[in-house]
Amino acid sequence: MTSYLTLSGVNKQYGAFTALDHVDLDVEKGEFVTFLGPSGSGKTTTLMIIAGFEDATDGAVEVAGQSLAGLAPQDRNIGIVFQNYALFPHKTAAENVYFPLQMRSVKRAEGLARAEEMLTLVGLEGFGHRYPKELSGGQQQRVALARALVFEPDLLLLDEPLGALDKNLREQMQIEIKRIQRKLGVTTIFVTHDQSEAMSMSDRIVVFDKGNIQQAGRPLDIYHRPQTRFVADFIGETNLFDATVTDAAARRAQSPVLGEVSYAAEGLPALADGQEVALVLRPEQMKLSRDPVPGRMNAAMTVETIVNFGDSALVIGRHGGTPIRVRLHGADVVILKEGDAATVSWTEDAVYVVTR
Amino acid sequence: MSTAPRSLTDRPTLWPWLLLTPLALYLAIFFLVPLAQVAWMSVSEPTPGFGNYADALTGTLFRKVMLNTFFTAALVAFCCLLVGYPLAWLMTKTTPARATAILLLITMSFWTSFLVRTYAWMVLLGRNGPVAWAIEALGYGEPPQMLFTRFASTLAMVHILAPYMIMNIYSVMTKIDPALIRSAESMGARGGSLMRHVYLPLTAPGIANGAVLVFVICLGFYVTPVLLGSPREQMAAGLIGRQIEEFLAFGPGSAMAMILLAVTLVILAVYHRRFGLDRLYG
Amino acid sequence: MNASLRLIGIFAIVFIAAPLLIVVPMSLSTSASLQFPPPGLWLGYYASYFTDMSWLRPTWNSLVIAFFTTLLTMALVVPATFALVRHRFYGKSVANLMMLMPLAVPHIVMAVGYYSYFGDLRLVFSKTGVVLAHTCLSVPITFLVLSANLKGFDRNLERAARSLGATPRQVFVHITLPILRPSLTISALFAFIQSFDETVVALFISGRDAETLPRKMFDSIRQEADPVIAVISTLLFLIVALALLAPHAMRLTRRMLATASRRTTPRDQT
Repeated sequence: MTSYLTLSGVNKQYGAFTALDHVDLDVEKGEFVTFLGPSGSGKTTTLMIIAGFEDATDGAVEVAGQSLAGLAPQDRNIGIVFQNYALFPHKTAAENVYFPLQMRSVKRAEGLARAEEMLTLVGLEGFGHRYPKELSGGQQQRVALARALVFEPDLLLLDEPLGALDKNLREQMQIEIKRIQRKLGVTTIFVTHDQSEAMSMSDRIVVFDKGNIQQAGRPLDIYHRPQTRFVADFIGETNLFDATVTDAAARRAQSPVLGEVSYAAEGLPALADGQEVALVLRPEQMKLSRDPVPGRMNAAMTVETIVNFGDSALVIGRHGGTPIRVRLHGADVVILKEGDAATVSWTEDAVYVVTR
Repeated sequence: MSTAPRSLTDRPTLWPWLLLTPLALYLAIFFLVPLAQVAWMSVSEPTPGFGNYADALTGTLFRKVMLNTFFTAALVAFCCLLVGYPLAWLMTKTTPARATAILLLITMSFWTSFLVRTYAWMVLLGRNGPVAWAIEALGYGEPPQMLFTRFASTLAMVHILAPYMIMNIYSVMTKIDPALIRSAESMGARGGSLMRHVYLPLTAPGIANGAVLVFVICLGFYVTPVLLGSPREQMAAGLIGRQIEEFLAFGPGSAMAMILLAVTLVILAVYHRRFGLDRLYG
Repeated sequence: MNASLRLIGIFAIVFIAAPLLIVVPMSLSTSASLQFPPPGLWLGYYASYFTDMSWLRPTWNSLVIAFFTTLLTMALVVPATFALVRHRFYGKSVANLMMLMPLAVPHIVMAVGYYSYFGDLRLVFSKTGVVLAHTCLSVPITFLVLSANLKGFDRNLERAARSLGATPRQVFVHITLPILRPSLTISALFAFIQSFDETVVALFISGRDAETLPRKMFDSIRQEADPVIAVISTLLFLIVALALLAPHAMRLTRRMLATASRRTTPRDQT
């Protein structure tokens, strides 16, 4: 794997506050990488450091083997789409897209023609003469994208660009951004706090928390093989059960809720006997029945709430004081009522261990 | 690796000073120095010492004028409230088109030179003016002398300063959540009690803002009282002006000016402590 | 309660509107004194305003003084406002207060100061003196208007421009300045009007040579009203009224045209 964008040991201090703590990351050419994390996790700070609007306290950023140190934002050849689009209100859509070309001394006629081409690519043919305030949110988004791409940047940075759009439009724009990115093959960093957005768009997801990279990997790996408690909790619906490792060699742990369980072998951190850990069990990998199922691991629970979504249902039950969430599909749910005693069951390879 | 800060907000700290220096120098030379000169004259003309202050504060004329100034300023602020509050209230209750029209009228008044407005009152209240004409036409007999009285100057100052009051009250009124009023009504607040327990407390900041602003501007008013008011009921600024213009009494005039300034600044400082000055004029 | 408030409100509207409107018929009156109703109507006093040098010269003086005051004020206030809004530095709150100070000092106090100070500098009775004084008095209002607008300026626009290849200077020329142009125009207008209307300081320091329009008006009103004063008042009021009404009138016409064209063109065009 050849790295195109490389962050090595990037630190950012604001006085005594550490915004970024030694971040290392490699991004391949043409890759679509999403920075996912809650606000204040360091994802936007990282983006601003790459763009050159913030300086790292320590560490290096390289694009295609060239260090960006000392390069002003305008010399980095990086396209950015901001959350509020930051379209220039006094310029038409076409003039907005022409602006980066104008800064690169492209003649007006030629530049506007290229701008129009770019607008066509993002699906805004014939909208060039409109001012930003005459465009809808989705259209403004497309103009911002066209403007960030027209000068063939080495990198495209998207800072929560879909945050201001409503749900339908957002899904439409997710597909649209992905299509354009594929077509142009531009290396893209996408910042979001929305995990479903990250899941659906990315080649790779980098999960940030408290200035650290918690985990970086393909979307499904992140979902199914969370390596930290934070990732397990942040991505998707999760059941997290405290447990103590009883026999690390045999992959067994003791949990007050689940009892004695064995866990999957994949992606394990190094564990020692007696270590405090958390067990991760995704709601959709559990089943509900009246009686324990032979061949599966079982635990008792009392059904408390059933939330019906039509195609599926979420059953929330309790074992002792601990809530257990189980997602059921189709008709499985009809046999249950609230207040019923039931059994949850799962298989060994559905249980993952994360350190506490 | 470590580079100099280059982000948009934290440039080297010299830069803001560079931008600020010309204005700071200018204000020092053409604002603070003349102000200091007033202070200097007040203790040096015609003889060094605080005699001018002693004379001003013990003499009956200046005391009478200062009292009259305070009284007039308070009266004007109060009248502005009487005029402004119902009008601001009306603007929030009426249709948007009418509210815009009223707003336009107030803006128009605000932007019209206050000499023009002072002159207009001279026309309105003149011996042969429309008010006198109406009094006569309605059969009330000989109209009284209105021009060159406290009545005329107060009326004109209320008219000139009312926009400040209205805009301050209107801006807080428009920020009142209508749901608050509806819920108060649903709990049985009506008419007078709604006004007293809900509207007045919520608009109090606007009233305070407007009143302080009007009062302070009024304290230093020169033109309108001089042109419309009674010579026997001068206001402070008029008296100071006469000291300089007619008697060339720079020392006493400066001392009075300093006292007027001190009073104004004390009021503004108290206000600044509590609310901040930029809000007052913002 | 509501009914009486409404009544007072309507009375307040009349109170505010009447003085503004009364000057118009008075300017057309044949009577030399302030007589109502006007005994007859004519345009004679308009003719005398536009031919009388004793009125035209102060008008010109005021325009010149207001123009240079605006220029000087903007040159000083614009950079200072950028510093105060966009940077944090030691002594910022003091600087902020200093910008507002001239607003807190009664004009009569400054008039006394300038009268003696400019006397020493030999600037009294000169246009330069009036410009220098008016600039101080225009600083606060210009600063307040401009800083309010600058605070609302979206810094991401500048970041976007930088990322698109613009140097800081290009950002300022192509992005910041054009977007701020309306606010700059409005704050300049405030400075201009502040100077054009200022009476008290001008009364003390403008003298015969630099006599401003407000000073001439003040003197004329004091010495029992030259009827030309009604003409000037009408003109000054009409300029304000037109300036304020024009945008509304334009918006209204545009809306009417838009409705009209919508009726005549197919739906899908809009």
